[in-house]
Amino acid sequence: MTKKLNYMNNLLTYSRLFVLLLLLLLAGSCTSKTDANGPKKVAVIVSTLNNPWFVVLAETAAAEAKALGYETKIFDSQNNTALESDHFENAIVSGFNAILLNPTDSDGSIVNARKAIEAGIPVFCMDREVNSPRAATCQILSDNYSGCVAIGKYFVQTLRAKASNTPINYVEILGLVGDNNTWNRSKGFHSVVDQYRNFKMVAQQSADFDRNKAMEVLESILQAHPDINAVFCGNDAMAMGAYQALVAAGKANDVGVFGFDGADDVMNSIRDGKIKATGLQSPQTMAKTAAQFADAYFKGKRDFAKKIPVAVELIDQGNIKDYPATKKS
Amino acid sequence: MPKNTLKYTMLLVLLAVVAYNSVYFKRLDEVKASAGPNAGQPFDAASYASAFWTNKLLPATAKATEFDALLSLLKTDKEKAFNTHSHALGIGNIRYFLVKGTGNVTAVGDNDITILLPSGESVKLATEYIFGNAVRDASGLIQITEFDNTMDLNNVSAELNTIIRNKVVPPLKANAKPGATINFVGAIELNKAHLHLETIEVIPISVEVIR
Repeated sequence: MTKKLNYMNNLLTYSRLFVLLLLLLLAGSCTSKTDANGPKKVAVIVSTLNNPWFVVLAETAAAEAKALGYETKIFDSQNNTALESDHFENAIVSGFNAILLNPTDSDGSIVNARKAIEAGIPVFCMDREVNSPRAATCQILSDNYSGCVAIGKYFVQTLRAKASNTPINYVEILGLVGDNNTWNRSKGFHSVVDQYRNFKMVAQQSADFDRNKAMEVLESILQAHPDINAVFCGNDAMAMGAYQALVAAGKANDVGVFGFDGADDVMNSIRDGKIKATGLQSPQTMAKTAAQFADAYFKGKRDFAKKIPVAVELIDQGNIKDYPATKKS
Repeated sequence: MPKNTLKYTMLLVLLAVVAYNSVYFKRLDEVKASAGPNAGQPFDAASYASAFWTNKLLPATAKATEFDALLSLLKTDKEKAFNTHSHALGIGNIRYFLVKGTGNVTAVGDNDITILLPSGESVKLATEYIFGNAVRDASGLIQITEFDNTMDLNNVSAELNTIIRNKVVPPLKANAKPGATINFVGAIELNKAHLHLETIEVIPISVEVIR
């Protein structure tokens, strides 16, 4: 009888061990739970909701996904990769079926996106890229380079027309130096302007995409180089700051300012002849495309291009009338 | 004793499974190659552009759309014109067309050559500002899925434009005089949402000047 009891105890211990073993083996494959009966869920994880541009991006993506029949939720990463990581973990555990991501950091967001990819959840990047083609199903990005090629061409055309082949001195104000968009814009611009030897960049300095910093940077540059002909800025906020500095220096009519983004205040300034040109991005196109790609993924599409450029339109003195005026703030 | 052995064996197997699933070994250079911005083989944009120019684009010029016919269709049925004849690797309003035509040179400027077409329309062949993606995208023969990196795509455009600047523009500028007849094939860029037909500029791909 005792022998039989021992045998039963041993059998129970081994059974427990086998169950534990099976659970461990299964743990690797069970990473998310999904509700088979309800609609699929789409998470929109956005770098920040403090900037209206990203609010438009996130809300358009969520609205499009909802219109396509999916449950949606917006997560604000507050420009913090650690918070973004928490959002990814929540999205994976909560059974979201796709993630539309506006990354916080080109490098720092790679590990977060890969977590979802490895859990079998597609990730579609919007506007900002991650520096790994394998970290996202598809990246839908503004064609910053080509947009700035168009700005560079207009820059050369307008300044050459004014001064033929006489020397043209210009300043470039860069965005955040760690941001890919900063360099893609700068490279596109220089791919054109550097072909003209009479164009000389007398100063190149970062103002972190910030309006006030750009004003201070240009005020400082003007002390050393009062004879500039133009300023190319990596975004519209900096273009507005540069224009303010030129107004304060009494040079607003002599120096052309060029921006990038298509922000309302710059579009209105182009209309008023204060800013020369900008590149109009379309957050709506990127957001809608990301949601539509998630929908296509659910329906079986897998052959997505790793990166898809979204056209940036040159807005200048000649075509600004094609774009409806917005209310001045 | 055999029962203990079995128990320890099971524990060892369990530990081995946990250890095997917890630790991965990969060569550092492989990880860097798969995760870095220049993952995979370095892309040679100049070679790609040269091969594309010779093997695909120049043969495709025979299938270019007649410029006069396209212009007429754009005026009467814009949607059909864009859906049938335009291409673009990206998404958005900017689209590209591969066009051809024959006309007489009416003016030779610093930046372009003006040609009068049989329909009475004028078109400008660019000779100075050879930039952008028109030549890369107009034929529709490059697929976006071929590329993991958008900078590679940008570099293909730059290299194709360099080929035009070096091979197409010099003989065009040397031979195109007012009164001469020109056969041309080129690429144009149009904005689908904000269409302007009065300012079309053709980037020349193939030009034959008939004296």
